[in-house]
Amino acid sequence: MKITGKPMHPYFSVFKDETKLDINYVPPRLPHRELQLNLLNQFFRFAIESPGKMTQRVLISGKIGTGKTVLSQHFGLNITKEAKERGINLHYIHVNCRECKGSLFMILQRTVLTFYPHFPRRGYSAEELLQMLIQVLDEQNAYLILAIDELEALIRSEGSDPLYNLTRIQEDRIKAPQRLSIVCVLREPEYLDMLDSSTRSTLQRNIIHLEQYSKPQLRDILNDRVSLAFRHGTVSAQIIDLIAELASLEEGDARYAIELLWRAGKYADASASPEVLPENVRKAAVSVYPVVRKDMISSLDLHEKLFLLGIARCFKQTEAAYISMGEAEETYAIVCEEHGEKKRGHTQLWKYLKELSALGIIKTEPSSVGQRGKTTRISLLRVPASDLEQEVSKVLYLKRT
Amino acid sequence: MPIEDVFSSRGRVKILRILAEIGELNISEIARRAGLNYTTANQHLEALENSGLVRHKKFGRIRIFCFNEENPRAEIIKRLIDLWTTNKSR
Repeated sequence: MKITGKPMHPYFSVFKDETKLDINYVPPRLPHRELQLNLLNQFFRFAIESPGKMTQRVLISGKIGTGKTVLSQHFGLNITKEAKERGINLHYIHVNCRECKGSLFMILQRTVLTFYPHFPRRGYSAEELLQMLIQVLDEQNAYLILAIDELEALIRSEGSDPLYNLTRIQEDRIKAPQRLSIVCVLREPEYLDMLDSSTRSTLQRNIIHLEQYSKPQLRDILNDRVSLAFRHGTVSAQIIDLIAELASLEEGDARYAIELLWRAGKYADASASPEVLPENVRKAAVSVYPVVRKDMISSLDLHEKLFLLGIARCFKQTEAAYISMGEAEETYAIVCEEHGEKKRGHTQLWKYLKELSALGIIKTEPSSVGQRGKTTRISLLRVPASDLEQEVSKVLYLKRT
Repeated sequence: MPIEDVFSSRGRVKILRILAEIGELNISEIARRAGLNYTTANQHLEALENSGLVRHKKFGRIRIFCFNEENPRAEIIKRLIDLWTTNKSR
């Protein structure tokens, strides 16, 4: 039998390796953060030269997408590699407080589990666990740099005690080797005001503040990522310029720039284009909202997601700029019914609202004068309700499958 | 402990197999995996520890058990279990 018809074109992608655009990828080079990286290395020089003699506490602050996390991880990779070469048992562990629900217990548990993967998961307090961690380090003659990312979440839920305990744990061990150093990563320095003065002063001694990226700096970052992730000649300088321009308008958010680049590449692939076109970037720009990203939504609790979905639906149905807490609760109840979940009470929802507002997804304010009673008014600033609904539904659907 | 006392007890052999597979584990988890209750697992572990085959580390209230690598008998039993489980089909 003779097969007729058009020959099949092999699938062509503009990407060479799209994992290089993943949020968790740590690139080999950090353009325009060399100075800060050097500073961080200097702060921790002792860990290589005289381990156990002292410990360090460093605070990295900066707005969203200024490279705080990647800076810390990059430093972690380098220093552990150097320590290994010198035969020092130094570990770098990066934990995200938001993923740990702002609980010191969970942060420490994750840390201990990296040393003992089968360590029992319950039956002790956070303070006991901290002692156990030090004991584990002593036993293995190990040194640890613990990076606590999104510190806001920890301060918000547990105040200044956890940090106080972490920074002071070694003070009772004057003659024993000092094993635990801390790198705190914080977006909003105002949270430091919630700490007691002694903890604050300990942390504020070594601050590395990251300024937002300028357009030329974003261009350099994008150039690096393009050469890692895309096939040669598929992304022109003009495209990089356009993305850098868009991201610099979003307060120099490099993460946004990289996500934009990835989506533009996806749109180019979907339209079977051999290269990324300005139209692909424009399309990507309307689909990526810098305030609502997939990783942000995925890190929310199930009921936080359901509540957010309720809020999005409520805004979709109304033309008003603000909705009340009561209205949001009503749509949330329907969403819960749809998903077969038991709805949470008012106080819990109010906590979720505060959390969502702190993340910048929504804005809340007390109801204005002239309205009877007192309620919280909710507004969506920059994300169209229908898109938010779609994003949350997608994450919820993925979770279920 | 005579050798027949180690190998004649199903519970002890199970515990040794679990420790050979996992490495280090606390009592509750050993008991759960071996299908024994806590007290029985504890008694077996005590006997095995007295014979020098296993040892434990203490973290606060938590005891983590593992093979006692310093004991040549323990090392040989561990190797026997490894061999037994990897060459199942032969």
